[in-house]
Amino acid sequence: MNTKKPAAEAQSQLLEVSQESALTQKLRRTIAWNLVHSTIHNSRFRFGLVLLLSVIFWVAVFCLFYESFVFIDSMHAEVMSLLFNTFFSALMAMMIFSTGILMYGGLYRSEESKFLLTCPLRAEAIHAHKFIEALWFSSWGFILLGSPMLIAYGIVRNAPWSFFAMLLPFMVAFVFIPATLGSILCMLVVAGLPRLRLHAFSVLFVSAMFTAIWLAWSTFGSTQSQALTPAWFEETLSRLAMTEQVFLPSWWLSSGLLDAALRNESRELTAQSTFEALKFLGLIIANAMLLSLMASWVARWTYRKGYSNLEAEIPCKRQRQILWLDELLAYGGTKDGNPIRLLLVKDLQVFRRDATQWSQFVIFFGLLALYFYNLQSFDYSNAYASLIGHLNLAVVGLIFSTFTTRFVFPSISLEGRRFWILGLLPIHRDQIIWAKFLFSFGGGLIPCLGLIVLSDSMLGLEQKTICVHLACCVALCGGLSGIAVGMGACMPDFRESSPAKIAAGFGGTVSLVLSALFIIFVVITVGLTSHLNLLRNAGERLPDYPILSLIGGSGGVAASLVIIITSGLLATFLPIFLGIRAFRHLEP
Amino acid sequence: MIQFENATRNYGKKVAVSGLDLTVPSGELFALLGPNGAGKTTTIKMLVGLLRPSHGVVRVCGHDLITETRSAHSRLGYVPDEPYLYDKLTGHEFLRFIAGMYRIPKHLTQLHIDREITRFELQEFADDLAENYSLGMRQRLIFAAAFLHDPDVLVLDEPMVGLDPRSVRIVKDLLKEKTAEGMTVFMSTHTLAMAEEMADRMGIMIEGKIHFLGTVSELREQVDVETKSLENLYLKITSIPSADQINSPDKK
Repeated sequence: MNTKKPAAEAQSQLLEVSQESALTQKLRRTIAWNLVHSTIHNSRFRFGLVLLLSVIFWVAVFCLFYESFVFIDSMHAEVMSLLFNTFFSALMAMMIFSTGILMYGGLYRSEESKFLLTCPLRAEAIHAHKFIEALWFSSWGFILLGSPMLIAYGIVRNAPWSFFAMLLPFMVAFVFIPATLGSILCMLVVAGLPRLRLHAFSVLFVSAMFTAIWLAWSTFGSTQSQALTPAWFEETLSRLAMTEQVFLPSWWLSSGLLDAALRNESRELTAQSTFEALKFLGLIIANAMLLSLMASWVARWTYRKGYSNLEAEIPCKRQRQILWLDELLAYGGTKDGNPIRLLLVKDLQVFRRDATQWSQFVIFFGLLALYFYNLQSFDYSNAYASLIGHLNLAVVGLIFSTFTTRFVFPSISLEGRRFWILGLLPIHRDQIIWAKFLFSFGGGLIPCLGLIVLSDSMLGLEQKTICVHLACCVALCGGLSGIAVGMGACMPDFRESSPAKIAAGFGGTVSLVLSALFIIFVVITVGLTSHLNLLRNAGERLPDYPILSLIGGSGGVAASLVIIITSGLLATFLPIFLGIRAFRHLEP
Repeated sequence: MIQFENATRNYGKKVAVSGLDLTVPSGELFALLGPNGAGKTTTIKMLVGLLRPSHGVVRVCGHDLITETRSAHSRLGYVPDEPYLYDKLTGHEFLRFIAGMYRIPKHLTQLHIDREITRFELQEFADDLAENYSLGMRQRLIFAAAFLHDPDVLVLDEPMVGLDPRSVRIVKDLLKEKTAEGMTVFMSTHTLAMAEEMADRMGIMIEGKIHFLGTVSELREQVDVETKSLENLYLKITSIPSADQINSPDKK
């Protein structure tokens, strides 16, 4: 029986393009409103903290750029153009990749897209809906970093009001260009190379990483002149000139902003510069619109087909044999596996197979290692090297704390969701907590110690200072792991299945704040005594306070170490003790 | 209303559904049965447009799912095995979104929403965010959304999972009522009792091919087993020895 309705009638039941757009816009608005509303009502503390930290960050970045522009303003105007071009071209490259990756997740791997594909929506409408989401996620960093920078530049240059009025249109129009390019790239790769998708992405990613490292090294690292000298600046700036290509949207943005910020003596000349800026803005908007149109075409012709091809792919089979390392960890030295060791191996396997976890671990620690390695390019005084060494210790702690908060803290809640399995196993609940702690502590300690040794060696610090830093690093790893595991057990969230959402909840925020406070305490305690001791040994005169002489002595350093070790033990075992107590009485 | 014409879908070298020829006419409730990995989900995915057939055609109300995707989708309601809801929307807001998507006229939108809210007894939680719903609540809301635009074809994938007995009864009665009015229902399930009670016709799929197509009584006539329960018939046709066969004296 053919019950096909006449084409006109069937068409009348379908939404027009503008109606689809209005519908998805309304959906996003409603979701955003409900999200803000529920966050303000349910997580005021978190909301306030995020807002406060964002404001502090914005003001700090503004002050930093303001001072930098005051310094640079005295130099040739060419420098500004080079810096803007470098900044925006680097951002453009990063946004192409970040949007591409976000679009892949949003279009092809999300439950929402699966749902929308079964609805009578155009492929272009689904693409546009997911694109706005990806655009927001990939560009908020640019807005947060770019807005204080450009406002500071405008103030320093005494730019006309039109510069400030044009900032937002310039930034919004610009982000569309790399974002649409990333989106188009993503859809073409999925549609054209379904079988080679992973390899294509891997090759692109690795190539981009190597290119970025090579560019950074060839620009900043391999200069002939001594670092941070005028000659070094000259040489570096001449190498940055490669970013000034007239066909790059980053050049249009830089040129437009520089023209908009010009305030000439005569009104006519200022108006002429503003007009030039408007032409660049028009150029960026026109290209953004053309690329959006192209992305829409690509979505129309490839999205559903690409989705279907991906759905039909066979997931790769995992190897059955246990790796020798797993076997060694689980059974080495015993006949039967110890429950804690078996849980550890299970977490290790999950970590290995969760690309989000290990890739972030590799990227963050890899970038830190790269930065630490490049510290040798610079020439420091002892006092400077000591200060940087302590700051690097804080950075390692902060990076590790993001991992403990993002991945270790939610692991107790996620384990709780499987409580009916774990609860039936012949293991004590305490062992789950200890296994989580050992996994975090053991997994974080080796890379963190390695980074500290690398940093201190490149800075040429004394062995005594290196040993102090290593002791602090052990205390930090123990304390941060203890806080994440203990708080995770004290404040679990069994309703939520997403680790990111668990980490972003109240418990996760408290854990992050406690971790940050602990890091600050450790670094300030050891940093102050070690630094003062270094200055004193170097024969420098300390400010005339008896307390400074006291803590700057050898006894002060030893006392700080005792304090660090004690606080490390306290930060490790107190949260775990509280966590175990809460976990024992848990009824999921 | 639903037509599979030589529909084939491969996963690499593996053929998940092979040359499926099946027509489900208007007003029929068709149940697709089969063991895990038989190709039921692939068939459903082709029917709702998530997978394109490697060969052949799938049509809904005469509309080809590839060339007239939106027209086909506008006639379709779909209840997946794992329902998707926007966590930050209330049930009411979600139904409004669905009404907008299927272009239900504004003056009828609230009427349709109220009708489904009453039918699936959603009143108590329709204004709560979906993130607070239990599995059963989510499933009821998905049913309400699927029925909201009075689809001509309803596709159900394991529809009763998570529903309480009262909700199961509501759904069963509604399906009977709607099929009597001409709606086509295509249901994939492992619940044999449900298929036996509800289906006008059933298909048993094994390794991507329909091995039996017909009514339960036709199945009883065709398959030779001692106890003619649907379970035994199903196990026989899918070649798994049943409890009867294992325990029968001649086997010993």
